[in-house]
Amino acid sequence: MSLLDKFAPLAELRGALAASGSVPSVATPMDEIHSATEGTIDGRRVLFAGTNNYLGLTFDPECQRAAIEAVEKLGTGTTGSRMASGNYAGHRALEREFAAAFNWPAAIVFSTGYQANLGAISALAGQDEYLLIDADSHASIHDACRLSLATTIRFRHNDPENLARRLERLGENARRTLVVVESLYSVLGDRAPLKEFVEVTQRHGAMIIVDEAHSFGMYGPKGLGICAEMGLLDRVDFVVGTFSKSLGGVGGFCVSRHREFDLLRLGSRPYIFTASPPPPVIAAARAALQRLLKGDDLRTQLWRNIERFNSAVTRLGYRTGTQDPGPVTALVFSERSEAIAHWQGLLDAGIYTNLMVPPATPAGLYIVRISLSAAHTDAQITRMIEAFEGLSSRLRPAA
Amino acid sequence: MPEATDKVERVVREALKIACPDIGIVDGNTHLASELGLDSAQVMDMIMEIEDRLDISIPVAAIAEAHTLNDLCNSVRRVAGEA
Repeated sequence: MSLLDKFAPLAELRGALAASGSVPSVATPMDEIHSATEGTIDGRRVLFAGTNNYLGLTFDPECQRAAIEAVEKLGTGTTGSRMASGNYAGHRALEREFAAAFNWPAAIVFSTGYQANLGAISALAGQDEYLLIDADSHASIHDACRLSLATTIRFRHNDPENLARRLERLGENARRTLVVVESLYSVLGDRAPLKEFVEVTQRHGAMIIVDEAHSFGMYGPKGLGICAEMGLLDRVDFVVGTFSKSLGGVGGFCVSRHREFDLLRLGSRPYIFTASPPPPVIAAARAALQRLLKGDDLRTQLWRNIERFNSAVTRLGYRTGTQDPGPVTALVFSERSEAIAHWQGLLDAGIYTNLMVPPATPAGLYIVRISLSAAHTDAQITRMIEAFEGLSSRLRPAA
Repeated sequence: MPEATDKVERVVREALKIACPDIGIVDGNTHLASELGLDSAQVMDMIMEIEDRLDISIPVAAIAEAHTLNDLCNSVRRVAGEA
């Protein structure tokens, strides 16, 4: 048996996921990108409803200009870690800008959002310490736990009582525990009961880190996220996020109300042993952050799109992952064939979405995920709604 | 299913029944993934059920090498202090 034989079942799964058409639903080839909301797939111009480009900043003129200028002035890459030659003025400035936005004393920028979780969580909790994580956590959180020397225990998804029981069992060790939750879960689009999680955490003397990957930019004053929206920034210990969604780039950050957090950069392997983000990436992220903080116009347009689209899919009788509309809408199906038929039907109508299947989804669900953008025009949202109207008359939605 | 010999095995089998309602007779050496077809999410749900019923917390690492029903029972016994 060779090392490669174990991948055979994956080939089978990939084959099963290939919809009846010629375009694969996994790693769909994007042939051309025309704007924040349109591209070409398999020779056909499509409307994107399955990216994480929530504010549409990938084509923001200020962000583009900042990236181009940075390439011209500073080059294409840093070729070094932040601990060596890759600690440019832009990296340090972006960290100051994140800290200032949250009015917190410490911020660290990582090379990706994945590495932000990996770097922050694995370094915050070490030997003889504990990580209590939500069972539906993103892979980056699970991988961070693997990298950490701490003992990892899962609690039931979005269940503060279940978390409380686990903290109680830890006794005095609860004070050496980091609770890890996401503010908004990317598969079903459901929000965490953050207030209750924070109360339980503080009652037991533990600390809490909140991943705002899918909420930073869209919720709260200045778009700082759901913790800010709920007035929890004086009680949450760490907020982690990414540049690759609302900020339209690549990279990650972690901010903290604890000044000592800055020392983490001296002990975090995913921060130390990798090259720092290239100058154009940092320049675009800085421009995007300022754009996001500047006003609510993008958020207003995004929420208007969310309201219109969600009203339509509810009217059409689709089952969604949450009753709380947000930038992610998960259409839930009990049968794989039904989900594939919807994904393919939408693509045939010129709408690109995401098809998600077990084990990447909770409770064995089959999901067609739609994510909206502030860059979607009213006409584009109308086009999406019309595509769903056409599909729902042809394919029966799940009860 | 064969009759469980102790509380841990009984609880593990009950949790398995919840994760796989249509399951038939399961030998202790049955492989949870390759023979029963449980995916990682189903195993995780099963572990949570066991934790709730036994009022224990099972570290992720404690079950990393548990491939069969017997492996799982032994891991749970160790965490519960019954091994």
